[in-house]
Amino acid sequence: MHVRKRDSIQRTLALLITASLLYIPANLYPVMYTDALGSNEASTIMGGVVLLINLGSAPVALVIFVFSVMVPSAKLMAMFYLVWTVQRHSPLDPRQRSTLYRVVEFIGKWSMVDIFVVTILVALVQLGGLLVILPGIAAVSFAAVVILTIIAAESFDARLIWDNMDEKNSVN
Amino acid sequence: MDGEIACQSCDLLVNVAATRHGESASCPRCGCFLTKLHDDALHRVIAFSSIGLMFLAFASSYPFLSLSSSGVESAITLIQAPFALWSKGMPEVAVLVTAFIIAIPALVLMMMLTLCILITRGRYHSSLLPLAKGIFIGQKWSMVEVFLIAVIVAMVKIAAMATVTIGISFWAYGAFAICFTLAASSLDRYQCWQKIALLAIK
Ligand SMILES: [Zn+2]
Repeated sequence: MHVRKRDSIQRTLALLITASLLYIPANLYPVMYTDALGSNEASTIMGGVVLLINLGSAPVALVIFVFSVMVPSAKLMAMFYLVWTVQRHSPLDPRQRSTLYRVVEFIGKWSMVDIFVVTILVALVQLGGLLVILPGIAAVSFAAVVILTIIAAESFDARLIWDNMDEKNSVN
Repeated sequence: MDGEIACQSCDLLVNVAATRHGESASCPRCGCFLTKLHDDALHRVIAFSSIGLMFLAFASSYPFLSLSSSGVESAITLIQAPFALWSKGMPEVAVLVTAFIIAIPALVLMMMLTLCILITRGRYHSSLLPLAKGIFIGQKWSMVEVFLIAVIVAMVKIAAMATVTIGISFWAYGAFAICFTLAASSLDRYQCWQKIALLAIK
């Protein structure tokens, strides 16, 4: 048997609440600034998606929308749901909840895409007074949200889902 | 293969004795992946991790991407990319990005290489357990494939404003990402623990 993770529920819940609070500034504040010929333009994460659609790159816009908007919010909701059902000793289909947990665990790091995009743009786009890209404060909070949710998923003990199941619910 | 595995996601004891080479076993209760038997797994890990490290060294020393617009040019190497965030007042994000795309993946490859060489020698060593633990934690925080997607997205975003040229180090990083994935997928967690346990009692 593997050793159980200590205080799993409390730790996971604390991390989730912190991540949810940081998720607000991550979406409200600019993630980067574009300085083109003296005019300064700020863009939020959602603004970046809109920009990509306007550029005519719908598939890339979809990638960013899924990983930066849908995945982080769905992940937070899924983790809250899992913690809530475990705390209530819910009898809801444990196999489904197990699968949900594994999806959350697997998909976590993909939300870092937008942070890496900002990193590349800030480093590469330094064309003197012509065109300069600067990072925005939301990059810090968004990176923190992604990392906190990965740690939250890590500290959640998936075996808790199975702890309160009746004998008849198990296969063996 | 012999013995029972306690499923790490539901604690059910599963007998995996019937699993043959090339087959993988999953937990019958929760569906969690348990183990996959590879032929010659250790040698594959040694090969892919050493080639991967060479590609990473190559990727770090040549231009990664370059940009030009109205005669002005700028080029970056892989190492420089996160460093720009540092100089723009975001040292913590710069450190995290460097860790996720270069430092941790490189460390994981080095640890996998060391672990597999030590195991093939057939003698127990006290560093085997910490190495294996480090590898499986490090794999969770390696984001090489995510970074590759980010490069493509970044190129689409800049393409409208300036001309982007892909440097040779981009392709080297791509090759490194493939080697990393192949090495990591060849090292099965359960098989690894079992080999270490066998060496420990010998
Ligand atoms: Zn299971």
